[in-house]
Amino acid sequence: MIKQNPQRKHIRDDKLPHFFCPGCGCGQVLNYFLRAVDEENINLDEMVTIGGVGCTARIPVYLKTDTLHGVHGRTLAWATGIKLHKPEIPIVIFAGDGDLASIGGNHFIHAARRNLDVTVILVNNLNFAMTGGQVAPSTPSELKTMTAPYGNKEPDFDICKLAIAAGATYVSRWTTDRPNQVIKGIKDAMKHKGFSLIEIISQCPTHFGRYALDSGNPQVLLDWIKDLTLTKTQADKLTAQEQKGKFIIGEFIKEDKPVYTGSSVYKEACQ
Amino acid sequence: MKPYNIGLCGFGGQGIILTAVVLGTTVVTKGNRYAVQTQSYGSEARGGQCQAELIISDNPINATSSEQKDILIALFQSALDKYLPTLKEEGTLIIDPKLVKVPAGYEDRTIEVPATEMAVTLGNRLVANMILLGYMQQRFNLFSKEDLIEVVKESVPEKYINLNIKAIHEGIAYAKKES
Amino acid sequence: MSEKKAYQERVQSGVHFMAGNYATVEGAIAAGCDFFAGYPITPANEISEGMSKRLPAVGGAFMQGEDELASIFAVAGASLAGAKAMTATASAGFNYKQEGIGYASAIEAPCVIVDVQRCRGENFASQADVMQMRWGASGDYETICLAPSSVQELFDYTVKAFNLAETFRNPVIVMSETTIALMRERLEIPDPKDLKILNRRYTHQKPGEYMTYKANPNQAPDFAPLGKGYHNLYSINPHDERGGIDWDPEVFDKLYQRITGKISENKDQICETQSYHMSDASLAVIAYGSEVRPALDAVEMARAGGIKVGLLKLVTVWPVAEKQIKEVASQVSAILSVEMNIGKYSREIERVSGGRCPVHYVTKNKGSGHTKEEIYQAIKEVWK
Repeated sequence: MIKQNPQRKHIRDDKLPHFFCPGCGCGQVLNYFLRAVDEENINLDEMVTIGGVGCTARIPVYLKTDTLHGVHGRTLAWATGIKLHKPEIPIVIFAGDGDLASIGGNHFIHAARRNLDVTVILVNNLNFAMTGGQVAPSTPSELKTMTAPYGNKEPDFDICKLAIAAGATYVSRWTTDRPNQVIKGIKDAMKHKGFSLIEIISQCPTHFGRYALDSGNPQVLLDWIKDLTLTKTQADKLTAQEQKGKFIIGEFIKEDKPVYTGSSVYKEACQ
Repeated sequence: MKPYNIGLCGFGGQGIILTAVVLGTTVVTKGNRYAVQTQSYGSEARGGQCQAELIISDNPINATSSEQKDILIALFQSALDKYLPTLKEEGTLIIDPKLVKVPAGYEDRTIEVPATEMAVTLGNRLVANMILLGYMQQRFNLFSKEDLIEVVKESVPEKYINLNIKAIHEGIAYAKKES
Repeated sequence: MSEKKAYQERVQSGVHFMAGNYATVEGAIAAGCDFFAGYPITPANEISEGMSKRLPAVGGAFMQGEDELASIFAVAGASLAGAKAMTATASAGFNYKQEGIGYASAIEAPCVIVDVQRCRGENFASQADVMQMRWGASGDYETICLAPSSVQELFDYTVKAFNLAETFRNPVIVMSETTIALMRERLEIPDPKDLKILNRRYTHQKPGEYMTYKANPNQAPDFAPLGKGYHNLYSINPHDERGGIDWDPEVFDKLYQRITGKISENKDQICETQSYHMSDASLAVIAYGSEVRPALDAVEMARAGGIKVGLLKLVTVWPVAEKQIKEVASQVSAILSVEMNIGKYSREIERVSGGRCPVHYVTKNKGSGHTKEEIYQAIKEVWK
């Protein structure tokens, strides 16, 4: 008897095989998300998932949820409209680093500021992958990309710090090679009432690996990420200079604040 | 009634546009006529020259503006200088003599209403425009006193209603005295 | 009735003396609008201001977006969640709306966009966005654009815009203008029972049977609600009837035949015009929006002087009222196309006239509309 992956039930019938490259982290994140969904008995029928444009943005397209997809960077703007009209609908956004922190940066900081009650799963593969490996705001300094052939001369964004500064109320960062922490992080993020961001540092062997590390081997890339990873506790013992260029993982903030409901909060004032 | 064109010009803060709106509201919502009101003002948030226009008619109005005003009310000298050419030949000019000089050649068709001074006597210079509206009511009979008072009651904050109505009566009395 | 209590009524029936932007708000609320997002821009600010006051009172939601894009995409999101949604902007802001109009057209989200056209970066009158209304977004799509010429029509056409948006599941643009948006005029709001309001069409099918984009040719599909197990996929990418991304050229062609066909093939049902003095006319003025006002005055001046001229007013600017314009072009010896820009829509009129008669461009691009005298002069010159 051929055994079926227990998560297959959550995938749209005619959608496989998926379009992710061999070795890409997006498939892992899809798996982790569905594990979190099953472990928490979440009913995907009730959920809206959103993707903009990019590899990560394709994750929700496979899911048996209501899904919005296909415009670059506007995920949180869509989500805001849905949430203000139907606050009861849970929303999970899958965004790449380019989608969220580059073209969608303004929506990102303002959704965090408002504490919009949605979960953002950021798959940070450190470059614009779907378009061929261009430099992103998240590309570490000095690394080569398709459009940074002499090395990236710009500093990179710490997207978690950006979210916290803007007002996000749940923020954590993990890496694709830590399934348990990622699954727990996704569960915590989805359970959190308010703006939750989980950043997952991910491998893009096809583009980032080949340009930045001269290797299309996902294992080389995973090892590189692992070598640069520090837990929050480890990082706390280091100076800012020593932390530079490292991927610091852990849960950074978790707090309760009023969530954004738009002008509907004024309903009573109008009666 | 043929379309009747009224212009009001002055300085931002004098209530020029509000006056036109109250007048238009009276004519349309109480008098069941048609009116078109437009305005122009400088980009300053407060102050600066400003102008409001109102066209009144028994029938729907296509024009949004007219260079042939039947009445021009001027409460500021530079505004008058600018808009005086829009007054038609037999049109009436209404000025506040404390703020504006009677232009040469317009002596026989200029009416002087010292609205600001009268308003100060009433206790608030801002009701000068209500004095002017009261004056216009009595003098030109484009709308009824009752309708005007009703609109003022609906659109002015409660604590100022009595003062505004008093000002309207002052304007009416001034017009009666004059005639 | 206290002001607060009065605001809880969607339809503010009665005679008002109201500015155009507020009439737009009242039209939207009367049509059932329950979501509005906007970004500050002159001269559309009174629409946001009015919506922020009125929507919460009728149980809707208002948001001020962080930018124009946030506003249009929040509108798309709210629309898919079931809201009758609207945004408003003015010319410079309308540039940003194009991305959202493209999305809403592709995934067939009904919504209303108000563009208060302005020029010279400020509150000067203009109709210069007329082509952007139609062609602003990338890709193939159709829009429905209505051109009000008065405060009353801002109310009436905003209601109409919501109805058309629901009927065709398409963005509908209200082509407002500085001239009428900031002007106060008589507005008669009818009794609620006399207002025709069309609401969202939901499917009777169950999850599993229902397909998001399955519809008859040249028709819009019915909606399924979000969060009820229908697994709607609203992707701008080429999609099949189930919504699944599909790059097959035949699937793409079929989809876009329907998305554009639901407008272009129902043109005669959508397009509205009004004729004045046309029955015996041998000259025609064609105008839309605020330019209709001086055009009608000019036509009447010319009639008084014995010139047999009529006016065709375009209520619907897009799609083009080809049938009506062709009829006019066959009847008269010349058309004067009046508009407040460098002469854009005149080319459409010329195209549709197809050489049946010459089309004279009567254009003005100075920040104010034509005077009736200017249009009258143009009529006289053509009549000679």
